[in-house]
Amino acid sequence: MTAFERPLTRLPGKHSLFWKLACLLIAFCLLMIWLSWSWGRYMEQQNAYLSEEAKFTLGGYAAGAEQAWNRGGHAGVDAWLQMLGARETTWVGVIGNDLQSLSSSPLSSSESQRLTFLRGLDWPVSRHVKGLPWLKIAFPTDPEAGSLVIELPQRFMPGRYQVFWRVVTNGVIPGLFTLLLCIGLYRLLIMPLNQLREQANAWRADQLNTRLSQDATSRQDELGELGRAFDHMSERLQGTVVLQQQLLRDMSHELRTPLSRLRVACDSEQDLAQLRERLGREIDAMQRLVEDSLQLAWLDAERAPLVKEAIQLQALWDMLRENVCFESDWPASRLPCLLGPECWVRGNLNGLAQALENILRNAIRHSPTGGVVCLDGRREGEYWHLWLEDQGGGIDERDLERIFAPFTRLDGSRPGDGGFGLGLSIARNALQRQDGSLWAENTGAGLRMHLRLPAL
Amino acid sequence: MTPAASILTIEDDLVLGAYVHEHLERSGFQVTWCQNGQQGLDMARARAFDVVLMDILLPGLDGLSILTDLRKSHSTPVILMSALGAEADRVSGFRLGADDYLPKPFSMLELRVRIEAILRRVALDRRPLPARPALCEDVPGLRFDDELEDVFHQQHAAGLTRSEFRLLETLHRNAEEVLSKAFLYQHVLQRGYAPHDRSLDMHISQIRRKLKAIGYTEREVRTVWGRGYTLSGRDDSL
Repeated sequence: MTAFERPLTRLPGKHSLFWKLACLLIAFCLLMIWLSWSWGRYMEQQNAYLSEEAKFTLGGYAAGAEQAWNRGGHAGVDAWLQMLGARETTWVGVIGNDLQSLSSSPLSSSESQRLTFLRGLDWPVSRHVKGLPWLKIAFPTDPEAGSLVIELPQRFMPGRYQVFWRVVTNGVIPGLFTLLLCIGLYRLLIMPLNQLREQANAWRADQLNTRLSQDATSRQDELGELGRAFDHMSERLQGTVVLQQQLLRDMSHELRTPLSRLRVACDSEQDLAQLRERLGREIDAMQRLVEDSLQLAWLDAERAPLVKEAIQLQALWDMLRENVCFESDWPASRLPCLLGPECWVRGNLNGLAQALENILRNAIRHSPTGGVVCLDGRREGEYWHLWLEDQGGGIDERDLERIFAPFTRLDGSRPGDGGFGLGLSIARNALQRQDGSLWAENTGAGLRMHLRLPAL
Repeated sequence: MTPAASILTIEDDLVLGAYVHEHLERSGFQVTWCQNGQQGLDMARARAFDVVLMDILLPGLDGLSILTDLRKSHSTPVILMSALGAEADRVSGFRLGADDYLPKPFSMLELRVRIEAILRRVALDRRPLPARPALCEDVPGLRFDDELEDVFHQQHAAGLTRSEFRLLETLHRNAEEVLSKAFLYQHVLQRGYAPHDRSLDMHISQIRRKLKAIGYTEREVRTVWGRGYTLSGRDDSL
């Protein structure tokens, strides 16, 4: 993919498909040129020579001419020529070593020019012969005595299948090789895409756990990258769907519980004032649940950039402390802030306030009687690393990550209860939305929540 | 409240609408209830209401379009009600000129506080600016400087920001009186109040820290739970 994004500024990587394709196409082109050149030459050469049958027949004629000359002289040659004239339509003559006719009729001037193989001025100057070639065949037993000269009969002319072979070498064979190349390219490029399509179709059928085959994802080139990206995507998709289903299951449970309590209250309570009070309590709890769940969903769904501002942690802590002290009857002295006035972070006030408030409420809920929850931190480069520590005894190491999942409530181990288990998920989501992070750690005495936020 | 304030409610839910209508009338408002968007817009244009209270999802014409149309000609204060509750929805409501945004479900008490906050703010805006009472030195120990938008205690400047100064000044003008968050948002920050909005609380927190830093202890900004804030003497237990 990198090769497509920056096509000209950078060479494609070592494993890029570009190199494979380039090598393949260059090799193919060279092969085709070499093939048609060498095969063409070979065919032409093959077609330039007389067949064995022609050689045998023509050799026979030469022997016949020699016999006729030896037996009958000029008259014998005349008779033999007449006999041959009936068989062959082309020009035939018998000449001596002095290039004069051995028959009784002398050679015409054009005939003797043909015999010397010299071109006329107005003949095409071409490698290819004009008209039918003339052959000189020496007498087989006494080559000194003379030769037979014959214009090659049409039926012995080589290269009658030339067009056929041309079609084969210049048409059929390159066509076949190109077909092979296409098959190769198809296997190289399109088969992996077909696999991707099959996987996409599998998702449509809700089989989110299907993955690409090993060889599709282990390739080094762009298609391998695409396959890996595809696998990664399906993993995330599966994760999201599982999370959503979990959330839905948890929510339907959480929503039904207060409803059934309402139903019971409605059926059993006799006293109107008490019923009112119970209804009010249940409605408050339900409203909190619905608001928290919806907020969690919105935090996930909303992608609009947050309004960010400078926030002084001391002032924020004072504000939150006032609220929670009122809610929980804790004295402010049990919620110390060890941060100095120089601790300013950049973030979204409402998001950060809510995250910190949720963490603080959680810490207070799990604190023992007389426990202290304190906020401290230090600057680390471009970030402020803050931590909020309680004395509630901490949690199981295995649960350190699980507490951030929605609707997680740890049972028993820590004092205090209540809540829907949404507070920490909302806190983590809210912090992540403003480029911060949140994680937990056991200190031995209690739980320490770490926050990392961009410094001003 | 001098003459009964007139309120137009545009709400299509029969149960909620009837309930709001009845409740507001019992609280001494003059209420007109309309169940259709287009009709509501016509009425809001035809008569001068003190406050328009309307749902966002309405048959006929939705609340945001009514607001857009109404704002072309009228500046009647509008409170939007919605069960959608998304932050983006709230923001677009305010951008179109809503004065407040009330997420459903809400309590009648909450609704009344919001309406009163708007009516009070409008009354303040309409009142011709009185020649400012000489604020300087009228409080023992705290001097308000309108030019610098800051307060001084024994020559020490508190270093308030603009919003903090306006907030402290508003609390100071109405000293010993509890001002609702809804009103303070309307008057000082010029926007509606939302439960998750902590800007006002943060300003209060900063004011307290800054007053403490310059050693001013005669009075302090106190939180009156469920009602709002007040500037009062330290030993005054509320």
